[in-house]
Amino acid sequence: MNPKNNLIIGIIVAVVIAASINIDANPVNFVDGFPKLIKIAEEMTQVDPNLFHIAFSAMFETIQMAIIGTVVGVAIALPLSILAARNLNSKWVYAPLRALLAAIRTFPSILWAILFVIIVGLGPFAGVLAIIMYTIGFVAKLQYEAIEAIDSDPVDAISSIGVSKLQLIRYVVIPESASHLLSQILYMFDYNVRQTSILGLVGAGGIGYYIINYIQFFEYGKATVFMLVVLIVVLVIDLISIKIRDKFIIKSQRGMEMKIK
Amino acid sequence: MSLTSTPIPKIQTKTIIQMNNVWTSYDAKNFALKEITLSVDRGVNYAIVGQSGSGKSTLLKLINGMMHPSRGTIRVDYQTPDITNKKFKKMMAKIGYIPQTLGLVKNLTVLENTLMGALPRINTLNSLFNIFPSNEIDEAHRLLTMVGLENKSKRKAYQLSGGEKRRVAIARALMQKPEILLADEIVSELDRVTSHEIMELIAEAQRRINLTAIMVHHDINLALEYANRVAVIKNGEKILEIGVDGDQIIDFQTGNMTQQEILEMYE
Repeated sequence: MNPKNNLIIGIIVAVVIAASINIDANPVNFVDGFPKLIKIAEEMTQVDPNLFHIAFSAMFETIQMAIIGTVVGVAIALPLSILAARNLNSKWVYAPLRALLAAIRTFPSILWAILFVIIVGLGPFAGVLAIIMYTIGFVAKLQYEAIEAIDSDPVDAISSIGVSKLQLIRYVVIPESASHLLSQILYMFDYNVRQTSILGLVGAGGIGYYIINYIQFFEYGKATVFMLVVLIVVLVIDLISIKIRDKFIIKSQRGMEMKIK
Repeated sequence: MSLTSTPIPKIQTKTIIQMNNVWTSYDAKNFALKEITLSVDRGVNYAIVGQSGSGKSTLLKLINGMMHPSRGTIRVDYQTPDITNKKFKKMMAKIGYIPQTLGLVKNLTVLENTLMGALPRINTLNSLFNIFPSNEIDEAHRLLTMVGLENKSKRKAYQLSGGEKRRVAIARALMQKPEILLADEIVSELDRVTSHEIMELIAEAQRRINLTAIMVHHDINLALEYANRVAVIKNGEKILEIGVDGDQIIDFQTGNMTQQEILEMYE
């Protein structure tokens, strides 16, 4: 620890304290309100098993929304990511596209949902559109970063043959970045399922609609049923993606271990 | 292995690669290559040997136009190599390049990696949908049989051993129907038996088609065994160029040399 480090830590602590005062964050309020949390937790344990079948059908709708949103979003994001990769395009192509993608990412999905509820009305379709936008913004960014980081050796070897740029993309860029894309699709689907669960808050369909309604009417026990179902489904999806990852991603990355003396 | 037995095709001239006083630099003061002058005849196996960092790989990249000299001229079949020049594209299709890391696409199969050598002569639209003419597919299978990998043509490249990966890279290069093969230390990390097998494959390909092979080696003994000519590069300069005819080694400045003398110079 030198004086410079101490100074930095001091500044960070001072900023946190100043910010807490500004936003009125008072630990005393938290301690005072703690018994309320216990009361909510107690009510949450009074689950209503009759609601499970409604919860599962609402979850099914949520999963369908996430599937459409992820697939369509990735299908749009993939060509955009190729156009936004710096190693494949001139800056006149990638710079405006990156700005556009950054603008898309600025909105969290809940704001996209509000926007689309205004445009297409209440219901799951608005939610699907919101997920598509969010997926485009993130997958395109992660994927153009993956494309920029691909191994340059196959790119050099194949481009020195004199292939066209489209052939280079088809036979080197896409296969070389495919494991990243798969891992991003799995992550995005997982994320979209959880995300769709709260889009119901603004009337954009899915299981979140039930959760917010029961919470608003203080029926925590009923809300618990729906939250449990979300938890179960997210865990199952996680298990499935681990299996897919093991099968396709881990293996192909082991293949990268080129021996270098 | 003799120089005189190399068939010289009609029309084409004897020299295919000519470098005159070539210098390359990383920055204003440091030169990767200095004053390189060499000429390579068609159909020969030309070896470039030297320690790591001596500029051997740079020399190969100058020939296929991936790098450009800061001084001097290079002619490959009377053209100046430049990977960004559309006029050079036809020549690029005829230059097989195997980098030290081989440059295989690890998630594609052995067959797909081989077929990539045919991409420049295939309609772009068809190739994007993975549609190859049947004669090209037959040719790929024939080459894979030749390199001994036909039974693994459906394997992904990442599943192969080091020796097998090199065979795929050779098949891909031969798929180009190349006039020149540039190979950068492709046998350096292999055991003796496998590296001899790989060198035999290239010698076999040279016998069948009039292929000029320019191979960078770390091991001078391997170069003396397979090459017709050996250029020794040290700190970016060509310190020696020798012809090899059977057991006889000819230094063009001092006359005959023994292998022992060469090894001493190399050390």
